[in-house]
Amino acid sequence: MSVIEINNLTKYYGKSRGIEGVNLQVEDGEIFGFIGPNGAGKSTTIRTLLAFIYPTSGNAKIFGMDCFKDSARIKENIGYIPSEVNYYEDMKVKDLLNYSAKFYKKDCSSRIAELGEVFELDMNKRIDALSYGNKKKVAIIQALLHEPKLLILDEPTGGLDPLMQNKFFDILRAENKKGVTIFFSSHILSEVQKLCDRVAIIKDGRILKVEEIEKLRSNKYKKVKVEFRNGDSIEDLKLPNIVNVSMKNRQAEFLYGGQINEIIRKLSQHEIENLWIEEPSLEEIFMHYYEKEVR
Amino acid sequence: MVIYLRELARNRKSFIIWTIALLLSDVLMMFFFPTVYDQSKSFNDIIRQFPEPITSALNLDILNFGDILNYFAYVFQYIILFSGIFAMIFGAGALSREEDEKTVEFLMAKPVTRNYIVSAKLLAVLTYLVLFNITMAVGNFMAFEAVKKDDYSVNLLMIALAGNFLAQVTFAAIGFLISVFVVKSKSVLSVSLGVVLGTYFLSIAAAVSDKLENFKYLTPFEYINPADLVKSGRIEGIYLIIMLCVILLSTVLTYFFYNRKNITV
Repeated sequence: MSVIEINNLTKYYGKSRGIEGVNLQVEDGEIFGFIGPNGAGKSTTIRTLLAFIYPTSGNAKIFGMDCFKDSARIKENIGYIPSEVNYYEDMKVKDLLNYSAKFYKKDCSSRIAELGEVFELDMNKRIDALSYGNKKKVAIIQALLHEPKLLILDEPTGGLDPLMQNKFFDILRAENKKGVTIFFSSHILSEVQKLCDRVAIIKDGRILKVEEIEKLRSNKYKKVKVEFRNGDSIEDLKLPNIVNVSMKNRQAEFLYGGQINEIIRKLSQHEIENLWIEEPSLEEIFMHYYEKEVR
Repeated sequence: MVIYLRELARNRKSFIIWTIALLLSDVLMMFFFPTVYDQSKSFNDIIRQFPEPITSALNLDILNFGDILNYFAYVFQYIILFSGIFAMIFGAGALSREEDEKTVEFLMAKPVTRNYIVSAKLLAVLTYLVLFNITMAVGNFMAFEAVKKDDYSVNLLMIALAGNFLAQVTFAAIGFLISVFVVKSKSVLSVSLGVVLGTYFLSIAAAVSDKLENFKYLTPFEYINPADLVKSGRIEGIYLIIMLCVILLSTVLTYFFYNRKNITV
């Protein structure tokens, strides 16, 4: 069963675009990455899922229930970490966590204590005295304390130092082992890469691609760097299947998606100073998706 | 219950400050009554020398300072103004504050409906208004008993106080509705003050000018004018209906629009 099911979701703020025709399926028990640059529509999608905002058209379901009609019931099993953490400034950390816990029909006190220890959080500090990173820790604990079945995380790692980030990822992996589905939005590819099974790329409000991380890695693209000896340029190669071309002096850099033999044959007809063929990073593969869309 | 209790706790301090400030001003003024009573004849004479628009604007024309209820009615019209501001600020702040301070994202991620949030906040504000009015009733009763010269009708006193309660609920309900659309705390404050002071001056205008007399239907201060209430002993039916309609309509529209609102922080 799909935990999250988004059908043709479109959201306009007046005339300005939020998202357009978004379709997504997040399966039970997977860690799903949601990646795109700032302003691509990640937060809009998440806010619609949580019924903070209503879509212009389309619909969405979580646990098979309608995101808008059954929002309150759905949220019993959702933990949400917002990208920007804003809490009641008159509260201490423990007040906020206890307040949060009261919304759920279970005793969360041991869980709060346990998570507080993992993140080394001072429970008696006032929220408004916390640093950005520490506020984020409160948000993480707040999202986990009622043991939700689905975690919706909107850029959750901002402000966390690498050590805390690792602890956080360990916890997410442990939760996932227990069967928790995770929807992880980020603009940092490396963290999505570390954690996620599948990933959706969003740009300018549209989903460009949904792909398994493994497949992305095993894609046929090679990163090729060629330094020509004389004035030849990349156009002279007349190669199909190349993207992301950049030309600097006599050095060309691009992603090549065709047969390796073919490029070798073409290249051999030119005077070449230097040649590199390597695995592209995921970042570069994504850049390829982004750029393809721009053209 | 969770949000309701939290709302009470959050506004406790400001409730206590408002209540003490208004109760003290009210009771202190009542303690001047014995002095006013002793000189009420010359007081009334002086007032009769004032130009008519001034006396009617301040309700001095129908009041007799030798009577404790009349004196109270004069004092209480200022208390009513500030009670209205207090009610409006509480009403308009309840929902908007979550958005202004961006805590609404936390609240909305909890397993509660928007109706539940509105109801909890309405109930919390209503609770404080009831507490405020009970305090005022007890305080005034004790002050009356302490300073009275003759017997007076406790009934009339309670009707004047009940009028204030109704006006407060009206302002709070309007505040709720406005706060669905205005969420920045600075704007909320200025709109609240604008509505209350605006309607207050409307009531003065209606009293002073015959041409503007029909303004009286637009201002709660006219509906529950304590100078009228301590005389007639009742709030006029038409005013009562207007207030109940405004309260009901504002509340229904608050639910309606809040449920459809896009919460963007």
